[in-house]
Amino acid sequence: MLSGESSTVEAANPRLERSAQRRESWRGFLHAVPAYVYLVVFFMLPLIIVFVFSFASRGRTGKPVLEGWNVDSWARLSEPLVRTITTRSVVIAILNTVFCLVIGYLFAYWIATRRKQSTRNFLLILVLIPFWSNFLVRTYAWRMLLDADGYITQLGELTGLWSRLLFTETAVFIGLLYGYLPFMVLPLYAAIERIDWSLVEAGRDLYASGAMAFRKITLPLSRPGIIAGSILVFIPSLGAYVTPDILGGAKTTLLGNFIVTQFGAARNWPFGSAVSGAILIVMLLATIVYFRTGGRTI
Amino acid sequence: MGLRPPNKRPVNTVFQSYALFPHMNVEDNVGFGLRMQKVDRSEVRERVNETIDLVQLSGLNTRRPGALSGGQQQRVALARALVNRPKVLLLDEPLGALDLKLRQTMQLELKDIQNDVGITFVYVTHDQEEALTMSDRIGVMNEGKLVQVGPSEDIYESPSNLFVASFVGDMCFLPGEIAGPGSVRLTGGEIVQAKTDSDPGTSITLTVRPEKLHLYGDMSEPPPGRNVVKGTVSRRTFYGDSLSYEVGIGASGSFDVTVENKPGMRRWEVGDEVVVDFHPEAAAALAE
Repeated sequence: MLSGESSTVEAANPRLERSAQRRESWRGFLHAVPAYVYLVVFFMLPLIIVFVFSFASRGRTGKPVLEGWNVDSWARLSEPLVRTITTRSVVIAILNTVFCLVIGYLFAYWIATRRKQSTRNFLLILVLIPFWSNFLVRTYAWRMLLDADGYITQLGELTGLWSRLLFTETAVFIGLLYGYLPFMVLPLYAAIERIDWSLVEAGRDLYASGAMAFRKITLPLSRPGIIAGSILVFIPSLGAYVTPDILGGAKTTLLGNFIVTQFGAARNWPFGSAVSGAILIVMLLATIVYFRTGGRTI
Repeated sequence: MGLRPPNKRPVNTVFQSYALFPHMNVEDNVGFGLRMQKVDRSEVRERVNETIDLVQLSGLNTRRPGALSGGQQQRVALARALVNRPKVLLLDEPLGALDLKLRQTMQLELKDIQNDVGITFVYVTHDQEEALTMSDRIGVMNEGKLVQVGPSEDIYESPSNLFVASFVGDMCFLPGEIAGPGSVRLTGGEIVQAKTDSDPGTSITLTVRPEKLHLYGDMSEPPPGRNVVKGTVSRRTFYGDSLSYEVGIGASGSFDVTVENKPGMRRWEVGDEVVVDFHPEAAAALAE
């Protein structure tokens, strides 16, 4: 009797387990529904619209016409103007990422190695405070600092090292560096703070110099932070709009401003859509390659 | 050796947490020290493989530490230090994170490896039994000071002070004072013979190991020339291989007596009147 019972239980078990798993995954899906709906309606759909528009044609008044489908806008991507702007944007985005990485790493390392938790928290809050004020306001503040009678310009003229920086590529660069540094510092801090310092101690015990221990142990272990921070800085830098618009004037057009111009003043929605779509595809490919090449491991 | 900075001394450490590099596989972990010393590539490979064999991890060369069990990680930590052939190897509670069975196996293995390589191991442990079984010489430290150094047996049989007596192994402590040469008066007035180098009148603590005490039912039973103290069994604890009796002796305190669980051994019940017997050489009177 008893053995009969136990055998039915055993036989039922795998089925029970499977149905429990199914219920579990169904419940998980229900949790995610609001997010899915949001992403589809406000993210996927607009992207699809942009993509569709890139194949549309432009009416006589500049109004996009949803017929006469063509690839002219995509063909225009090879024009010298687009190439110049793309090159400039990519160079600035790369430079910004590199500068953010170097400065951010030093700063994050310094914060993460403060002994007292309260000191670390205080320093982190200093990084976060700018986030709590409006980005536009902060960018306009830089405009004042960099303008002819701004303190930074005055300092440059006093030392004879630089004159007015506003509306130059340098000004855009300074603005981007300032704007995106926190996106680098925070993930780096999270990664460095997690490092088990006894590993560095072990490295030193095994004859590594301080610099060697940093290169072979600290740096590889902070890799997740380096990668996350670089992605968080590079992608928005490439599409930056507000900063180059306010600090770069009309002279320094970057991809972001170029796209805005296409949708605005130039009234060429299909071309603007094609440029946007191209950036998106390149970014997507880069991200896929990164994850495929084992980017997720330490 | 003492004048060189720590990272230049021919000393390596096995860390308590192992501190294995999680981003390197077993052979890269083991070869780290040699690579840092710019040892020739082929020699690095040879010595790394040799050492991985020594700690019986052959075949796991390309595993990351995260994919190893606690015991295997411990071996990698050991190999990583040994491969440098240091003059002295420091081991900071190397087996602390392992479960009892594995710890006992690793104790024997460590001892074998140490005999093989002939390197001095300085082994830090809080486990007194581990200290006694593994060491040739033990140094007992208290609050950063070395309080006694000597062979394991000396540390156990003749601790030089109360800290060592209480720290290493089980011990009975009874307060008293020196009554004369080699003679101690306990608080309750009993006089017993014990080893001492204190002067008469000094207040001392009489120390004796529980396994060196014997219990008898009557004053006439113990052999002559031994210390005998009357008492009452106040607690009995069964340990399987032995029994422990707590024997109260009035104002003098109490003895813990360990009796091996052998056939024919007399069992006592709580409340039984007993005589505690021990050899004068087994007891030591230590000043505070």
